[in-house]
Amino acid sequence: MYQYTKEDRALVQSRVAEFRDQVERYRDGKLDEDEFKQLRLRNGLYYQRHAYMLRVAIPYGVLSSKQLHTLGRIAEQYDKGYGHFTTRQNIQYNWPELHDVPDLLQDLADVDMHAIQTSGNCIRNTTTDPLAGAVADEIEDPRPWCELIRQWSTLHPEFNWLPRKFKIAVTGSANDRAAVQVHDIGLRLIKNDKGETGFEVLVGGGLGRTPYIGSVINEFLPTADLLTYLNAILRVYNQEGRRDNLYKARIKILVNAKGIDAFKKRVDLEWAQSRFEDDTFTKEHIDQLKSQFPAPKPLATELPEHASEVNSNPLFNQWYQSNTTAHRDSRRRIVFISLKSATAPAGDATAEQMQAIAKLASTFSDSEIRSTHEQNLVLPHVPVGDLYALWKALVKENLATANIGKLSDMIVCPGLDFCSLANAGTITIYDQINARFDNLDYQHELGDISIKISGCMNACGHHHVGDIGILGVEKNGAEWYQLTLGGHAGNKAALGKRLGKAIPQSDVADAIEHILQTFIDQRHEQESFASTFERIGLEPFKENVYATAA
Amino acid sequence: MPLLRNGELVCNDNWILIEDESDLPKNHSTMLISLTRYLALQHSETNSAVGVLLTPTDDVHLLSPHKRKLKLIGIEFPSFTEGRGYTQARLLRKRIGYQGELRAFGDIREDQVSFMQRNGIDSFHFADQPDKALVQQLVSRFKTGYQPSYQYPG
Ligand code: SF4
Repeated sequence: MYQYTKEDRALVQSRVAEFRDQVERYRDGKLDEDEFKQLRLRNGLYYQRHAYMLRVAIPYGVLSSKQLHTLGRIAEQYDKGYGHFTTRQNIQYNWPELHDVPDLLQDLADVDMHAIQTSGNCIRNTTTDPLAGAVADEIEDPRPWCELIRQWSTLHPEFNWLPRKFKIAVTGSANDRAAVQVHDIGLRLIKNDKGETGFEVLVGGGLGRTPYIGSVINEFLPTADLLTYLNAILRVYNQEGRRDNLYKARIKILVNAKGIDAFKKRVDLEWAQSRFEDDTFTKEHIDQLKSQFPAPKPLATELPEHASEVNSNPLFNQWYQSNTTAHRDSRRRIVFISLKSATAPAGDATAEQMQAIAKLASTFSDSEIRSTHEQNLVLPHVPVGDLYALWKALVKENLATANIGKLSDMIVCPGLDFCSLANAGTITIYDQINARFDNLDYQHELGDISIKISGCMNACGHHHVGDIGILGVEKNGAEWYQLTLGGHAGNKAALGKRLGKAIPQSDVADAIEHILQTFIDQRHEQESFASTFERIGLEPFKENVYATAA
Repeated sequence: MPLLRNGELVCNDNWILIEDESDLPKNHSTMLISLTRYLALQHSETNSAVGVLLTPTDDVHLLSPHKRKLKLIGIEFPSFTEGRGYTQARLLRKRIGYQGELRAFGDIREDQVSFMQRNGIDSFHFADQPDKALVQQLVSRFKTGYQPSYQYPG
C-alpha cells in the first residue's frame, strides 16, 4: 500500500497542529460557533445528537494492520470501546470529547492517517473497489489513481468552499463494486481500441433527496489528463453550482438543470484553457505510485491440500461459500469479515475486534485490510491453506457471521440514535429484521439480496439502490417507513420503485416477510431477487404486503 | 477598516468603495467601482478608473482587456463560506495574467488567508482588526502543498 513520504507526513502533522490551535481558540472564545463549525467540519468533526462525532478517513478503503490496530486503540482510549465503519469506507467514533480530539488526531497522524475533508463542503475521501488488486476481473488497479486524487484534492486551495460536499469514486474493474454511477464524479478505468488505458468519466450521480444516475461526460479521457479534467469540472461547479438552497447545491442538480450536453460544453470550454494552466502529474509520479501497490508475495507453487475438516464442517463451508471469493491467484482467496452480527449495529466493530483483525491480517493477509461500502471488512490476500485457521480465529471473535451479500448483510445509516437529521430509527429496524430472519440456512436459500436502510431523505444508507430499500419518515411524531424495491448499485445502477404508502415501525418485519414470501413463490429455481423483480414487477409484492397489512 | 498586506497592517490606504447608486467623483483613481460601472465607463472620455470590486457572480474574463490599466481588483466574499472568489482570483492570476493588487473584501477570516494567498490574493480587507500574529502563524504553518501551481507566496 501507499507509503507516506516526508512531505505527506509533514502536511498531516501540520494539520494536527493547526486543528489543535483551532480547538484552543474556540475554547478560549476566540472563534465563534459558526466559524468553528466550518473549520471542524473540514476536519471530520461533527456535533451530533449527543456529542461530538469524529469521522476518520480511510483513503479508498485501504488499511494496514498497524493502522487498524491504532483505530482499535483509539476506540478504547477516546471512545466507548467501538468504532463504526461507514458506507464511504471511513470509520466514525461517536463519543470523543472535544478536548481529546487533537490528541486523537495526533495518534492518527503517527500512523499516517487523518480526518481531513471527511465532512464539510469540500472534496471527500475518494472511494473504490474494496477488492482492488486482488480480483481477476480488473483492467487496472484503481488505487494508485485514487492516491493521486487524494493528494490533488487534499487542502485544495480553490475547492475548499464548494456549494456542497463532493464525492469521487473510481473502479478499475468491469464489474463495478464502487457504485460509480451514484457519485458526483464516477471514474471507470477502460481500454480503447488501441489498447490504451483511460477513464470513462461520469458526472452528476448521487442519492439523497433527489437521486440521479450519473451521466457520461467523457467517454475516454486519457489517464494523463485526469487531474486537469477533474479540476475543470470542479471549477465549473464551484462557479455555477447553486449556493442559495442547500438541497439544490449538489452537482447533480447543476448537471440536470443545464442538461448533460450543455454542461459538457461548459466543462470542455474551461478545460480547453485550464488543461495548460492547472496542476498535472508526471509519468514518474504515477509510476512511483503504482510501484507502491505490488501484488502480494508469491506463494509456494503447490496448491495446498484441503484439510479434511474443510469438507466435513458445514459451518465452515457455509462461511466459505458466502464470505470468501476468488482471488486472481488461485492459491489465495479474498475473505470478507462481516460486521453485521445480530448483536451489534451494522458496521460496528469493538476495539478488541479491530485489534484481532489487525493481527489476523498480519498473519494471513500481507498485513492489509480493506473497508467496504457495505460496511464490512476484507482480508484481500489469504492463502487457501490458511482459510480454516482464519475461520476458527474469526469465530472466536464473533466475526464469522456467514452472511455476506445475504439478507442480514444490511447497509444501515446511524439514524435517530446518533444523527440529528434523522426522522426515524434505523438500528431498531436492523434488530427487528435480524430477530425475524435469524436462520442463516433460510438466508442462504434466498441467495444474494440487499436491504438498505436510511433514517431520512439524505439517504446515507443508500436505500434507493437496495433490492429492498427502507426509508425512515416522520408521521405525526411517530416513526414510519417507506419501502422501495428493485434498486441496484452495480453495473446497471437503478433506483428502487416505491412499494406504496409508508408502514409503521411495528410492521416493518412483517412487510419484509411478505416481500420475501412473494419472491419465494414466484422465483424460478435459483433466480436472484433482482431478476425475479425485473421479471414480475412491483404489483405482486404490493398486493401481498398491503392486502395483509390492511 | 483594517487592511493586511504582505503580513503587515496597512494604515495609509486610500481606496474607497463607490456604490453604483452614488455619483462618481471626478477623479476616481482610487475608487473601487462595480464591474458593470467599470465596463460602462470605458466609453467615457473622462474615465480614470483603475479599481473594480467583483461580486461572486461576475465573470472575470470581462476584465481581460483592461488588465494592465487596473491597479486594484477587489473580490467580495459575502459570507466566509462563499467559495467563488477563490476561482475568480485563480483565473485573474493564472489565465488573465493580472499583476496588480488583488484584495479580499467582506466576511473573511484569519484561517482562510493562506488558501486565498495561494490563489493569488495579496491583501485582505478585514471587517474587524485581525490578529496579526495569528495570521502570521497560520500562513507559515504549511510549507508545501499537493498543488504546486497554487504557489505559496514568498
Ligand atoms: S440518512 Fe439521514 S438519518 Fe441517516 S445518517 Fe444520513 S442524514 Fe442521518
